[in-house]
Amino acid sequence: MTSLIQKALRIRELPIFLFLVLVALITGVANPAFFTVAGLQDVLLGVSIVAVLAIAQTLVIVMKHIDLSVGSTIGFTAYVMGAAGSWGHSVWWGLAVSLGIGIAVGAINGFLVAYMKLPSLVVTLATLYLVKGIFNEIAGGDTITGDRVPEAVNAIGANYFFGVPYIYIIVFVLMLVVGFIMKRMRAARDLYAIGSNLSASELAGIPVARRVFLAFVATGAITGLAGVLLLARYNTADANSGVGIELYAIAACVIGGVAIAGGIGTVYGAMIGAVLLQTITSALGALGIPQFWQLAVNGTLLIAAISLDRYLSSRVKPTSIMGSHE
Amino acid sequence: MRKFNFAWEHGVAVFLVVAIALGSGLSEFFATTDNLSFIIQDVAEIAIIALAMTYLIIAGEIDLSVASTLNLSSAAVGFSFRNGMPFEMAILVGLLVGLACGLLNGYLVTVVGLPSLAVTIGTLALFRGFAWVLLGNEPVNELPENWIVLGYENIPNTFLPWSTIPVVILALLAWVILHYTRIGRWTYAIGINAEAAKFSGIPVARMKLALFGVTGLMSGVAGVVYTLRFASASPDGAVGYELDVIAAVLFGGVAIAGGLGTLWGVLAAVLSLGVIRSAMQLLDFTGNALLIVSGALLLISVVLPRAIELVKDRRKSVTV
Repeated sequence: MTSLIQKALRIRELPIFLFLVLVALITGVANPAFFTVAGLQDVLLGVSIVAVLAIAQTLVIVMKHIDLSVGSTIGFTAYVMGAAGSWGHSVWWGLAVSLGIGIAVGAINGFLVAYMKLPSLVVTLATLYLVKGIFNEIAGGDTITGDRVPEAVNAIGANYFFGVPYIYIIVFVLMLVVGFIMKRMRAARDLYAIGSNLSASELAGIPVARRVFLAFVATGAITGLAGVLLLARYNTADANSGVGIELYAIAACVIGGVAIAGGIGTVYGAMIGAVLLQTITSALGALGIPQFWQLAVNGTLLIAAISLDRYLSSRVKPTSIMGSHE
Repeated sequence: MRKFNFAWEHGVAVFLVVAIALGSGLSEFFATTDNLSFIIQDVAEIAIIALAMTYLIIAGEIDLSVASTLNLSSAAVGFSFRNGMPFEMAILVGLLVGLACGLLNGYLVTVVGLPSLAVTIGTLALFRGFAWVLLGNEPVNELPENWIVLGYENIPNTFLPWSTIPVVILALLAWVILHYTRIGRWTYAIGINAEAAKFSGIPVARMKLALFGVTGLMSGVAGVVYTLRFASASPDGAVGYELDVIAAVLFGGVAIAGGLGTLWGVLAAVLSLGVIRSAMQLLDFTGNALLIVSGALLLISVVLPRAIELVKDRRKSVTV
């Protein structure tokens, strides 16, 4: 029993999870509408897109890399999915091309970072511009409206399974799959090794370049899928879709305990971070605080989360006080 | 690598000359004094922030919050003025707000010990959030006429906009300090190896704190210039400028890993981007083409040196 508690106390995501519970409780007490089915559905719908990007981002951040280009890719694929019909193509074509765009951008990023050994911050900043430029050249001033969204995509956004939005179920399953892979499969475990100590990973015989490349491709592929979900969620897409969302995804990861310094963190943490950001957004509304405060609160939260993490990790050394009680 | 890097800045300078030549050749409106004035005005804020960002990136840090700082400082000017402060005082408040933002970043990085990338993503949201809190939905548009003429008129009897003055003075200052003083050499030393710099007696933490503070202050100056240029302070100005600044600094030959780069390379890069933007607008290209060009230049600025390095390495290993 004690060992179980001790084990639980060592879970990295615990403090932020407890904080999430606290925020939810306060909001619920202040405004009972928050804990209704509709209130919770709002949170789940609101969190989905940032959550799926945060899951994708976790793959690269644990390797001590970053992918800023997702903001452009998600907008691009949302638009392509929406425009597929008016270009005379099927839903499947749209889905395949969206995934293809995601994979292509991921492969370019991955090639430049893994094989050319270029800094991911610079590479993905450049592809953020490039993809956005190409996307906007194609989209122009066109706006995808509800009547052009394929029915199947619309159905994902509009339907619920026992009260849970389809979109969130998809994102949740994706989280479980990626979470399982990152915990159990060796190739994915290698990502943590690469992020904690690059040269040791190379010496240990990990095919670093291949792993980094594939992780970026996976991030791109998930982002391509996220574009489809973005269209399903908002039922609209235009040249400005997805602008700036990359920073929210990274913020969700960091709040959820995925360390920018690499080597640590899980997709579950990223999900908690995303849910917390969304819950606070809802909480501000529920508590009657003007929406103007939202960004400031998010920023404070992000800084508080990394400060707390720093404080905890500098105290809890590998041979912790908690461990010596056994 | 180091040797090549000198050539990189020459490359940017040549690029600038070619861009100007092409612009003049392709559009009769390009090489006019009006257009030159427009280009300078257009790049002024980016240039001012890029000066400080150059130091920061050379020292191995980064600040993503600069556009939000610019905007908060602009909002502070507007807010103070709206609440009855004389405009001169309001500008001072704006500058101090910028400095405070920078020092907060610096404190979190050097004292609390957090990674600057994560910290400044947080303050990017925080500072813009404060701007929203300060101004709400109401931008301040009624600024004193005798000040806002500085935003759109030229210096009398010249074709240079007033913003040329802060840009030139600050650029000269930044250039001299970076390349001819101890502080400049310390900046490089910290970027090359912070640990070694510390053990050789350089006050690394204090230097970094100061660099963040100066970056905030420069963002504040850019905020004032921005406010005058648009004769308005609003909570949603200058979104995304941080990426433009960083792109210009990197294209100018500063290595993201720190320890490398020159100030005139960065200035040439800022001007190049301004020249290309203006030429493309005159030639009726869309903003999208400009995004593609910016992205491509940024990519080339990292890919090309690395490709040359790889080719050299291969040649070496063949001869051995």
